[in-house]
Amino acid sequence: MRIETIRAAGDRPPHIRHDDLISTKGVSVVMGRQLVLQNIDLAVPKGSFVSLIGPSGCGKSTLLKVLAGLVQPSQGSVSIAGLAPAEATRKRMIGLVFQDANLLPWKNAVDNASMLLSIADKSLSRSDLRARGQEMLELVGLGDSAHKRPNELSGGMRQRVAIARALALDPAVLLMDEPFGALDAITRDSMGQSLLEIWQRTGKTIVLVTHSIDEAIHLSRHVHVLGIKPGRITESLDIALPYPRDLSVTEDPEFVRLVVQLRTMLRSSHQPGGAS
Amino acid sequence: MSEQPITNLSEPRLVSGWSAATGSWLPAVILLLVTIVVWEAAVRIFAISAFVVPAPSEIAQSLVAQWGTLMQATLVTAGEILFGFLVSVVVGIAIALVIVRFDWLGRALYPLVVLFQNVPKMALAPIFILWFGYGLAPKIGLILVIAFFPVTLSMLAGMQSVDRSLLSLMNSVGASPTQILFRIRVPHSLPNLMAGTKIAATLSVIGAIVGEFAGASDGLGYVIQFASTQLDTALVFAALLLVSVLGIAFYYAAEILERIVVPWAPKFSQA
Repeated sequence: MRIETIRAAGDRPPHIRHDDLISTKGVSVVMGRQLVLQNIDLAVPKGSFVSLIGPSGCGKSTLLKVLAGLVQPSQGSVSIAGLAPAEATRKRMIGLVFQDANLLPWKNAVDNASMLLSIADKSLSRSDLRARGQEMLELVGLGDSAHKRPNELSGGMRQRVAIARALALDPAVLLMDEPFGALDAITRDSMGQSLLEIWQRTGKTIVLVTHSIDEAIHLSRHVHVLGIKPGRITESLDIALPYPRDLSVTEDPEFVRLVVQLRTMLRSSHQPGGAS
Repeated sequence: MSEQPITNLSEPRLVSGWSAATGSWLPAVILLLVTIVVWEAAVRIFAISAFVVPAPSEIAQSLVAQWGTLMQATLVTAGEILFGFLVSVVVGIAIALVIVRFDWLGRALYPLVVLFQNVPKMALAPIFILWFGYGLAPKIGLILVIAFFPVTLSMLAGMQSVDRSLLSLMNSVGASPTQILFRIRVPHSLPNLMAGTKIAATLSVIGAIVGEFAGASDGLGYVIQFASTQLDTALVFAALLLVSVLGIAFYYAAEILERIVVPWAPKFSQA
């Protein structure tokens, strides 16, 4: 295990599109008698940061689960670097972060950070795992909390460990389902900023499900707005603000304009549309 | 152990562990002493016969006079409780593991376990005597049928309450059901299991005494039964006192075990 080579993957102009790392074609998901997702065509360029935003019940979390191979689409196809999600998962290409950090309370931070890796790669020795866990904790800014148990960590710190745990797998894609949804506004801002830095240092492709307009614009390069009944992508927005971004970007007139634009899009996404 | 009174929350004080402990115990000790004094006084004032209600002083005298016999009986009963308790915990855990790991077997077993729980287990005591004789075996059997259930049920609850997204994470790295069981479900169930174990410890005491009532030649249950036929009520109370002491001892042993096994349990993290 070695640290990822630091790539300047952060700021490729959007028009020079390398092949898409993730693409879905006509994905629909039916659960029970409900059409949860309808005809989703999503393309996530390699090394990009994409946010999915939409009202509750629009199926954005389901879409993330489809990408992770945890939900089978009823129709359509999903490709992660040319592989089916299940195959990509087997090759450790997907790292998952949920709203709840879901750390194991009986393990300290470093063992939590290496927990999934220990299952994914049985050839690693205990000290390899520790070293990898420690490396990842340092990447998320928790290098000196390695021996703390989850109940000694704050909510933000626990979520950092959860991110370290996903990164320890060295996945190509980080799928995050409202990872900062349970945190207070200030912690949320600093977590978002840290995530941006991690993204720029590791060159991962990130797909983030969020409720927060500010978060989506602050962090991502592309935002897809999902509407309800049925869940579908209603609009997409490119965020042309240059990287690296920090919190001062929120005062940029362009940021303010994008917030207004995205809010308008979201408002219309609350209207049910299409056949259901 | 009782909580600190809620009124203390408004003005936080720095109290040492010891004075906090005495603070929470003191009211109970005072009430106990008052009860003993009132009991003693009432028996003397109303001249109640010793074989109806013995005074605390008479119980104490009986305790001292029969000390050797009582200690020997206590040891026998304590051995039954400990052995029966351990068997109950092991069997209880094994049943829970089988139910969770083998889905079809679990679906067959679980309803039967719940059904069996509705059998009045005390009533099984004479049957166990019939099957296993007057020795240790029927007592262990009775403790087992009484005490395994809370162990199984609490461990099941713990194993089945693992967060779905944690299971998704495990599935995302291709964890096998056995890996999920032993690396996630079992450790996750330990706080629940320890709570069930404490209930099992209390039930084990009851099981041992009932087993001795039904047929025994030794133990505190036997002493209680024998003494009551002799109308030696003071000795009955002395033996009861020792049964209570045993019950408290086993309960706190389980509580100490809990602190050792699951120091990370949510109930300890406020400290």
